[in-house]
Amino acid sequence: MREIKMLETYIQDYNEAVFETDKITALAVVNKALESGITPEDIVFKLIIPAVEIMMERIEKDPDSNLAQHFMTAQIAAEVTERMLEKFAIPPTVIGKVIIGAAHGDLHSLGKRIVIGCLKSLMVEVIDLGINVSAEKFVDTAVTEQAQVIAISAMMVHTATGESGSLKVRALLKERGLEEQIKIAVGGAPYRFDPELYLKVGANGWAPDGVTAAKIIVQLINEVKP
Amino acid sequence: MTPLEILIAAIEGSPAPRIPIFCNLLDQGVRLFDLSPEQYYASGQHVAEAQLLHLKKYGHDNVWSLHYVGKEAELLGCQKILFAEDGVPNVEDLVIKTLDDIAKFEIPNDITQHPAWESIATCMKILQREVGATHPICAYVTASTTLPAILMGMDQWLELFLLGPYDLRDELIRKCSDFVRQHLNALRTLGANVIIYSTPFGSPYFLNKTQIIRDVLPWMKRDLEGGCCEDLVYYCGMAPFNNVIDLIFDELKVNKHYISPLADLTEAKHLINTRGLSCGVIDDIKMIHWSEAETRAEVKRIIEIGKPGGHFLFGTGVMPLSIPETNIRAMLAAAFEYGSWT
Repeated sequence: MREIKMLETYIQDYNEAVFETDKITALAVVNKALESGITPEDIVFKLIIPAVEIMMERIEKDPDSNLAQHFMTAQIAAEVTERMLEKFAIPPTVIGKVIIGAAHGDLHSLGKRIVIGCLKSLMVEVIDLGINVSAEKFVDTAVTEQAQVIAISAMMVHTATGESGSLKVRALLKERGLEEQIKIAVGGAPYRFDPELYLKVGANGWAPDGVTAAKIIVQLINEVKP
Repeated sequence: MTPLEILIAAIEGSPAPRIPIFCNLLDQGVRLFDLSPEQYYASGQHVAEAQLLHLKKYGHDNVWSLHYVGKEAELLGCQKILFAEDGVPNVEDLVIKTLDDIAKFEIPNDITQHPAWESIATCMKILQREVGATHPICAYVTASTTLPAILMGMDQWLELFLLGPYDLRDELIRKCSDFVRQHLNALRTLGANVIIYSTPFGSPYFLNKTQIIRDVLPWMKRDLEGGCCEDLVYYCGMAPFNNVIDLIFDELKVNKHYISPLADLTEAKHLINTRGLSCGVIDDIKMIHWSEAETRAEVKRIIEIGKPGGHFLFGTGVMPLSIPETNIRAMLAAAFEYGSWT
């Protein structure tokens, strides 16, 4: 009971620090939790993951949340998770695998970096193909790696809606009979201006920011996984 | 009245036949010539001629010196732009690849002598000659706190901005601010009379208000040399900024605001009121898939919010190349119809 109460306090303190984009305080909360005897496994599963999930809800409901908060949520969670994983007695079970990259012709990497940070802290394996990724590479890698989701970031209208981006990934999945096994998630500025755009480019889901994108991707993984 | 007089009337709140109607059709210009985007943008003459042809065809009020945002990166040393057949050019070669490059990074002594400036100067000379007396000539300047994003990539810049080393961050912003001041002067000298000051880091969508006041506002003041700039329009790269409108009035004395389609225009208009110019901006990404009737309805909605009381301009955002021409015509026809005072 006392440990639960203590964890709740740590989660709250950690999230307040993240929300204020105060990395030093957020890391100090984690260190304090470790010093108080909480195991690295519990730091990840009982502090970081619930904290990221709470942050997802908070950002989703708060129209005034900002990019700096999204960035720091991902950055700090990924850093702490990476540090804690080194200390795990047994490697954790991953909940799924995602192929991520910026669409063909798109050289922007901030959005996917936020998504990657959050996904890693949620125990999702992420294969980052970088920027300017062809549709063939997305699909071929997803097949080879047996990934459940292809996540495509596009910051410009033509890379979001063009024939070489998500539309082509959808066409390739259809051609190869993979639509049930591999889902498509998209994100980036154009989708924020037209929330129905994801349907027009053949995606299964989208999110208005990198943090909630991780939530959507986990949902898509769960749809695919037996 | 000429479009320039209509704009001045809107700013001053004096009588005019209609509200000003601004539109950018930069990428659409490529299709008027049998050229690749790279060839088209390399020629200031083509960029100017395309705009003059569009002006004749559609009758909107403004032209642009802007070719594409990456031009600023080219003036600062970018060696490669990725041109696309179906969209905007994109910075491919980052000028600052590692933090060590910041110390070596230098602003040209005179950007007007840079080869990348030549097409801007040519474009401006033609526009000034042809429509300078009658039409507003818009220019685009990226603020010093945002410019590093196109020099080193947004994620690297956000990391440096938020996590430091702060002395290095400030050194880079200071250099960028020197560039902004030089850029503003050069554009004004060529005849630009509406300057879109693009400052996404001055939007609460990027940072909270405390961070904006502490880490961005002093640099914006430096960019603008602390004074009021009658030709400046505050623009946050299509991000909402209603929460800082009062701050911008008080601290920067900038009184023209280009409101994001994602922001509450009613609130923005109420905040700005007759203190300055509210620019209502259509969500032109939705125009790709809207019908003509939907486009018209949205123009009507925006103008019905903004027009009462005057001090209002109708404008566009990024105007993607994939917007059907019928929707461009529908948008402008509706803007002229609903924007009329007579």
